[in-house]
This record gives sequence, structure tokens and C-alpha cells, in this order.
Amino acid sequence: MPVEIPKDKWPGSVRKVTLGATTAEGGTRGKTVTVGGESSLPFLHFESETPCRPAVAIEIRDRRPDDWSPLLIETWEEVIDDPAKWAKAAEEAGADLIQLTLSLTDKNGNPNTPEAAVANVKAVLAATSLPLIVFGPGQAEMDNALIVPVAEAAKGERLLLGICEDKNYRTIVATAMANGHLVNARTPMDVNLAKQLNILISDMGLPTDRIIMDPTTGALGYGIEYGFSVMERLRLAALQGDAMTQSPMLVTPGFEAWKTKESKVGDGVPEAWGDWLKRAIHWETLTAMTLLESGADILVLRHPESVRRVKAAIEELMTPA
Amino acid sequence: MYIIGENIHIISEKVKEALANRDAKFFQELAVKQVEAGAQALDVNLGPRKKDGEEVFPWIVQVLEEVVDVPLSFDTTNLAGIEAGLKKVTKAQPIINSTSAEPERLEKTPLLAKKYNTRLIALTMGSSGIPVAADERVNIAVEKLIPRMLEIDFPMQDLIIDPLVLTVSGCQEYCPHLIEAVRTLQYAWDPPPMISVGLSNVSNAVPSQNRPLINRVYLAMLMGVGLQMMIANPLDEKQNEVIRIIEQRDDSTPVGRLYLKIADRIANMEEPSIEDVDMSDPEQVKIWKTVQILLNKVIYADSYLEQ
Repeated sequence: MPVEIPKDKWPGSVRKVTLGATTAEGGTRGKTVTVGGESSLPFLHFESETPCRPAVAIEIRDRRPDDWSPLLIETWEEVIDDPAKWAKAAEEAGADLIQLTLSLTDKNGNPNTPEAAVANVKAVLAATSLPLIVFGPGQAEMDNALIVPVAEAAKGERLLLGICEDKNYRTIVATAMANGHLVNARTPMDVNLAKQLNILISDMGLPTDRIIMDPTTGALGYGIEYGFSVMERLRLAALQGDAMTQSPMLVTPGFEAWKTKESKVGDGVPEAWGDWLKRAIHWETLTAMTLLESGADILVLRHPESVRRVKAAIEELMTPA
Repeated sequence: MYIIGENIHIISEKVKEALANRDAKFFQELAVKQVEAGAQALDVNLGPRKKDGEEVFPWIVQVLEEVVDVPLSFDTTNLAGIEAGLKKVTKAQPIINSTSAEPERLEKTPLLAKKYNTRLIALTMGSSGIPVAADERVNIAVEKLIPRMLEIDFPMQDLIIDPLVLTVSGCQEYCPHLIEAVRTLQYAWDPPPMISVGLSNVSNAVPSQNRPLINRVYLAMLMGVGLQMMIANPLDEKQNEVIRIIEQRDDSTPVGRLYLKIADRIANMEEPSIEDVDMSDPEQVKIWKTVQILLNKVIYADSYLEQ
């Protein structure tokens, strides 16, 4: 018996957003990455084409992280004290994008400075030709103090700047507008707040094709279902035509998964949990895959093996059956 | 529309302060003002008053009955406090607000209501919280609340079912279901129980300048499905105007026609349509955007009117 597959036809679509600018476009990147453009729920190729492949970013730090799992430190040991080398290694590991997080303090515990932040961003831009995402430490005042000079120093690069949240969006958006960058609008797992921040940012006059939405999520086993629902709801609203939810979504499964006990620690856990490294990579990969299925356009990961697996899965998902 | 005035509520700083000072005059003025504005009963929410309920509730009854004759609605979970207050009532048949389908409350509160011949507000909320779906809320009424009333021979005309309005800011998916629950509950029993809602809950956590508009538009929709009683702010003149327009079917103004159209569409189980709206009139555009968020068609955001 022939079965007719029901198809949805949505009135709206996700906006296309391009990260990075080549020399011809006023930057120095070897290539750009465009995400978004979906006009159906993820990977339903029989409904509509998925014009852009979800992108994988690797998170690097401006210095050796204090709180990362020993498994990650070991993996990146040879490059971990030099963000430029780390960026290069991340590119070689298959990243589409580099996500550089600026630390709150330097290795001696002194507060990070605008000069150091600018120097590190310039070094990373010189070491890799990939588009760059730069996040501050995640404290509104310090984010402003570091991100504004970075935005000015890298004018025209179409960096994706964060953290841009309700406390500091005015500063981050203003510098993005003045210097030709994009913003990563982060809200704490709430559809209403995500939409509200998009409205506020658009009201300032930043073109909507320079906004990425970061709805935040949990890790597998730590509230991911809640994050999934928020993203799904935002994506459904986007497809229904709500302009203020039509930004592509960035999520940070690397950060989320590697803070769980299952990934972070190997001692003092039940033997039944099995091999630590295998488990940690599964955790990061499964967190990322779940978010991919709820509409993520940019996944920020930490372990190169997770990157390899997630990219292979994206390759398969992007191939129509 | 039978309005139970909501303004004597402990959430207000002024009420809190007046209560601490046992400022009888403050409460009497607030009561008279509400009744003069059209309130047919007064809700009295002074919190649980665990420590002093048996002193506070009789005091407030005496204070209010000196100046108004309308029913007083005891809005608290403190049964001992309610009972102490009920003993002082000399005027209109009071209301207990409320019981729910949670076993302990449903066991005790209706008995108190029966003993003192009060009306009783019953919430469609069980031990596992407030269901989203309209059907499930109606089921709580039909399977739990009404059977308990029959069991103790409580007069059905004194039962008031409250299917629980939740805020559009955070519980948006509940908003359209509540409308359907109000519609269906009127067929839940013969004779039908009264239905009441706490209207302004729909705009809890919404920036204060947008609250009255959201309340008004939701009210028009609820009047469309036959709502005849609510706990609300009787001093809200624009809200009273919407009540008047719909009750009198006053189609003499464009905005009035839109409110009527919204009520009629909802009454006919249709969705309000953009064709009903004159998009060149900013007031109508605001109403239309509010309809869209209340029907959960567009995701709510604090700046939804600016979108």
C-alpha cells in the first residue's frame, strides 16, 4: 500500500547569517561560514532543502584553563599555553569555526586586560584562517571591558561577539554595529526572554542578519530536555513567521557536557560507568547530537574526537535518503 | 459581569502596611471605592496569617461590614482563620476562596463552607498541579470537585469553579486552554456551577504598563465563552468599558466593534482574524497583537507590542 508522507509547508524561515569576512569583504579570513536558512524542522529534506550545514566550533582559551577535565587538558597539552597554536590545532582537528574564550584572570591570578585580550585575538586571527567567535569571561562588566577593544582591533572581521545578555547588550551591540561584527544573544533557557533580547537588540538598529541566538541548554542528564523544548519552540515560532525568533541558534554542548560529573571526573565513580574517556566523549557527542536535532546551527565543542563524530553525523544527516 | 473586587490583597505594600497598623479607615475606603465602582463582592486576601488569623479575620469582617453590605470572600488557606471570620459575618452570604482537588483541602474546606452556608470557590488543581489541557481541568471538576459536593450535599448553586488563569509571561500555552475550559465547564453539570477566574493573573510578571491591555483583551475573549463572574480590579475603567460594550453590544466605536468581534469569534469557536482589524488604527493593532499572544500564536516577550 502506498503511504503518503505528510509534509508541512511553513510560512517562515530561519535567517542566514555569515560569520567571518574575507579580504575582499574587509576582513582577513580565508573563508566565511554561513548558517541558518532552514525552512523546515531539522533535516526534513523531503519538506525543504537545508541550505546550510550546521557548523562545528572548537572552544579554545586565551590561557590554560583552571577548571577543565584532565582529559581535555591532556588532549590539548602541547598547545594549551599558546592560543595561536591551539587555534591552529583546532583547525586541523576539523573545526569550521574557532571559539576563543577570554579568561577572567591571567595565569598568575591578575585580572585580564584589554591589551592582553587584543593581543590574543590578533594572534589567533593570524594563526587560523577560520572565522572567529570571541566570548568574554561571562561577567557583564568584564565582558564589556575586554570585548569592546577586541571589536575595535578586529574591525571588519565579522567576529561573533559574546557574551551579549540583558545586562550588557547595549555595549556589545553598539561595538558590533560600529565595527562590523555579529552578536551572540544569550538568554537563560526561556523562550520569552530569548525573543525579548532579540527585540531589544533589533531596536538598537543592528541588522537582524548579524544576530545569533544562544538559548543556553543543559547537558545530557542535566536538563537537556528543557533546553530541547525551548529550542524547538523557538524554531517552530521562526517557521511560523515570528521575525524575532528567526535567528540561527548557537549552543555550547562542550561546556555543558564537560561540567557534568560523568565527563569531568574519573575517580570515585561507580565502576559500572565504564571507561572514563569513552564515557566523556559519548556525553559530549550525545549532548551535541540532541541539540542538533532540536535546531542548533552552531555547536561549540571541546574534544577533537567529539568533533569528528558530530561532523560525521552531520554529513549523514545532510545527505537526503 | 459579577466582579469580586480584588484590591484588598496583601501583595500590595499599602495593604500590608495598613494591616500592620490595623488601619480600619484604609480598608473601609478601599472597600467603598470598589463597591461604588461596581464590585458585587470583595475578595479579602491577607495571606495565611498563621499566627494571628483568628484575630485578624474577625477584625477585618467587622471593619468592612461597617461600611459595605456585599459578600466577603475569604481568600486564604487558613481554615481556622476563615472560621473565626465567618462567625462574625452578619450581612451577605460570604464566599470561601478556595478549595482545590488536593485531598486534604477537598476533605475539609467544603465541610466548613457547608457548616456556615457560604459559597465556595473550587480550583481545578489536583495534587500534581494545574494541568495544561482544558479537558483535564474540566475532568478535575467533574471527577473530583463536583462529586465531593454531592457527597456532602453541598448546594450546587453555591459552588463556583475556578479553572485558573495563568500568566501569559511564562505559562503562555495555558492561556488558550483556559478559554476552552471556561466554555466547557458550563456544560459540565446540570444545573451548571458558576464559573469565576482571577483575571489579572493573566498579566502577572508583565511590565505594569501592558497589564491592563492584556487583561481587557483576555476578558473580551472570556466573555465570548460566557464568563459571568471574575475576581478583578473594579477600578479599571477601561476594563469596565469593555464589559459594558460587550454586555450592551455597543458597536458605536471602531475599538468597541473590534472587542465585540473578538468575543463573537471566540463564542463561535473561530479564531479572531486580521480582517477584523483596522491596521491603520494603532489601538486596534495593539489589541490584535495581544490576541496573538493570548492565543499562543506568537511567543510572548515583554516588548511584544514593539515587534
